[in-house]
Amino acid sequence: MDSRIRELRERFGWSQGELAERLEVSRQTVNAIETGKYDPSLPLAFRLARLFGEPIEAIFKPE
Amino acid sequence: MIRQPLTLFLLGCLLLAVAILLPRFVGLPDTAQGLLYGLAVGCLAGSLLRRWLPEPCDTAPPALRRRYLREFLPPMVGYMVALAISLILLRQVEAEWLRAIVALLPLPPIAFAMRAIVRYIRDTDELQRQIELEAVSIATALVSMLYLAGGFLQAAKVVDIPASAAMIWVFPLVCLVYGVAKILVSRRFR
Repeated sequence: MDSRIRELRERFGWSQGELAERLEVSRQTVNAIETGKYDPSLPLAFRLARLFGEPIEAIFKPE
Repeated sequence: MIRQPLTLFLLGCLLLAVAILLPRFVGLPDTAQGLLYGLAVGCLAGSLLRRWLPEPCDTAPPALRRRYLREFLPPMVGYMVALAISLILLRQVEAEWLRAIVALLPLPPIAFAMRAIVRYIRDTDELQRQIELEAVSIATALVSMLYLAGGFLQAAKVVDIPASAAMIWVFPLVCLVYGVAKILVSRRFR
């Protein structure tokens, strides 16, 4: 799934590790989501949306 | 805990050399020789895994990994001790019910080790959980297929494998395939 995670993370000035810490997941999980290799669960997608202050559908786009 | 692949590799080579050379000089029981071979192969395999394990293969937080090792390693040491005691006692015990209890002595430590694995998978993050579950599924499927094939071949009298040896190797084989499958599955997410 395509996402704007990298763009939003960089806008907030966070490293992958910092974002991972805020989400309580591993840095590799953040990297896999950013590169579209892993689709996050719904609870994690909601945590991302809440963290970036955007609706889920504005962050994730189906391929 | 030995973390350096080279140290682990050298320890494996040393144990292997001891396992090969020691029986030439002293009478070593088969069990002790088997344990030495097992430890040597374990150290060598561990060193190769530490050298080539891709980074995302195990992304659990350090605290979770420490808890896993704390819960997993003592039962495995307990298993080795219980196995040695069980094999020694089985030579001396005659009563069938007592032989059954003695033969099953190594089982409780393995149950604790499995509990550690399940707790680790349950508490790790969602990507790692997916990797672990896919790897476990692949390991279960492959080992089941292997044993099914072995069963058919045995029934057709093409092979003749001792039942006890075949059954004892189920768990180690699942662990081995699980480890290899984990490396392959995790590559998808790199």
